[in-house]
Amino acid sequence: MSVQDILSAENELTHMLGAQQAVVLSTRIRLARNLDGMPFPGWAKVPQRKEIAERCVEALNHLPKFRRGHVLRMGELTDLDRAVLVERHLVSKELASGKFGAAVISKDQTCSVMINEEDHLRIQVVKAGWHLRGTWNIAEQLDDALGPDLKFAFSEKLGYLTACPTNVGTGLRASAMVHLPGLCLAGHMEKVSRALSQDGLAVRGWLGEGTEAAGNIFQISNQQTLGLSEDAILRHLGGWIKNVVEQEWNARRKLATEEGDKFVDRLSRSLGVLRYARLLTSAESMNMLSHLRLACDMGCLPEERRHIVDRLMIEGQPAHVQMRQGCELDSDGRDVRRASVVREALRDFPELGPPTA
Amino acid sequence: MSQPLKCSLCEEAATVHLSQVVQGKVTKVHLCEACAQKGGATDPAIFQLADALTAPVVAPSLICPHCGFTDIDFRKRGRLGCPDCWKTFGDALGGLLIKVQHEATHVGRSPVGIAPVGQMRHRLEAARSEMAAAIAAEDFEGAARLRDEIAQLELQLRNS
Repeated sequence: MSVQDILSAENELTHMLGAQQAVVLSTRIRLARNLDGMPFPGWAKVPQRKEIAERCVEALNHLPKFRRGHVLRMGELTDLDRAVLVERHLVSKELASGKFGAAVISKDQTCSVMINEEDHLRIQVVKAGWHLRGTWNIAEQLDDALGPDLKFAFSEKLGYLTACPTNVGTGLRASAMVHLPGLCLAGHMEKVSRALSQDGLAVRGWLGEGTEAAGNIFQISNQQTLGLSEDAILRHLGGWIKNVVEQEWNARRKLATEEGDKFVDRLSRSLGVLRYARLLTSAESMNMLSHLRLACDMGCLPEERRHIVDRLMIEGQPAHVQMRQGCELDSDGRDVRRASVVREALRDFPELGPPTA
Repeated sequence: MSQPLKCSLCEEAATVHLSQVVQGKVTKVHLCEACAQKGGATDPAIFQLADALTAPVVAPSLICPHCGFTDIDFRKRGRLGCPDCWKTFGDALGGLLIKVQHEATHVGRSPVGIAPVGQMRHRLEAARSEMAAAIAAEDFEGAARLRDEIAQLELQLRNS
C-alpha cells in the first residue's frame, strides 16, 4: 500500500459528476477526541505518543468502515507523500510535520482519522457536494463505534476535553468548501466574509487555516464548539451556506446578464491561456480553472466537463505535479509540467457558448 | 532602530500584524508566520487567545498533578497538557472560555453509556418556557404534553 494507490483510486471528490456540486464542492465534519488519562500529543513523551497511536490504530482497524483501508504512519513516509496527503485534505499540515502522527483512511477515502495531531484523534468525514446531515451521521456512528474501545476524555460540564479551548465541548467543526467566483468577481466577497465572521463562522482559504483563497474557493466553518448542541451548530452553518449559495447564484446571473459578451470573453480567455500556456503557476492555473468551473455551471461549457476541471484543481497542486512526474521538481519545472498536464486534459474542450443557467 | 516586534504567541519575530476593531476598540495582535498559519489569521478567536496568553506572566501558580503542566506552559503554548488539566485550570480558564466560546457549559452529545446531562438540562429549560407559553396561549393539550416531558426529564436527571 502506498500513497500512490490512494491517489489513483477513484473517489467521490475527483470522479463524481453532478449538478449539486456547482457551488459547494464538499462537506466536512471533524470531531476532536482524546483518550482519558493520556497526555495530549503536544505534551506527551515519545513512548506515550507511540502507545496512543497503537491503541487508536487497533481500535480503528476493528471498525467495518476501515476494512481494506489504509494506515499511514507519518514517520515512514517521504516528504512528498506527506505533502500530497495535505493537498488532498486527508491529513493536516500539523500532522504531516510530526514523526509520530498517523492517519487511518477508509477505502473510499470519505473517512480519515488523524492520530496524534493536536488531539489524540481527529475523526474526519468528507462527502462531495452539500450533504451536511449525511456526513454528520457517518461521523456520529464512527464516534459511537469507537467510544467503547477507547474511553474518551469527557466531563459533564465541559463535554469532550481537548488540548485547545477552541475545540472543547462538542469538538465539532463542520465545514463546507465553496466555490464563489460570482461573489469574488462582483467584489462582494469581503462583505460576505465579514458577515459570516460576525455571526461566528470562520472563512478560510482552500487549504485550511492561514491559506489564501486560490481559485475563489473558501472553507466556511463554525467557530463555537461549546454551549451549542451538535444539531444547533449544523443548523447554524446550514442556514448560512444556503444563504451564501443563493447569493452566489444571484451574483453569477447578474454578471452574466449585465456583462453579456464580456462575461463569456473573460471565461474564454482563461480557456485559451490554459490550453496553450507552456508555464503555469499554481495560483494562475487555480484562478483560471475557477473560470472554467464557472463556465460549466453556467452552461457555457457542457456540465459533464466540470469533474475534469475539479480534478485539475487537485492535480495541479505542487506535490501532486511532482508525484505524477515521479521526482522532485523546482518551481519552474513544476510550472512546465503543470502546463502540460492541463493542456493535455483540456485539448478537446469545446468553445464556450452563451450562458444558459 | 526600533525593536522588531515579537510574536504574541511565541518569541519569534512577528511578520503578520492584525488589527481588529470591535465597537470602536482597536485590538492589535502580532504573529510570526508559523503561529499565523496555525491560528488562522482570519480567525476572530485568535485575538481572544492572544489576549489571554500575553497577559503579564508571574510564577506558576497552578500545576496539573497528573501531567505536571503549569499555567506558564499554557501561556507559552495555548494548549493544555492532558484531559485532567481541565480540572486544575478549569476555573482559571473560565473567562477565556467565555471570550472564545461565549458559553461555558456543554449541551451536546455524550459518549455511549454516559447520560447526556447537559443536553437534558438544556431541553428541560426549553420545555419549561415552552410550557409557560402554551399555558399563556391556552393550549392546554400542548402544556400537558410538555408537563409530562418535564417530569420525565427531571426523573432522568435525578437518576443520572
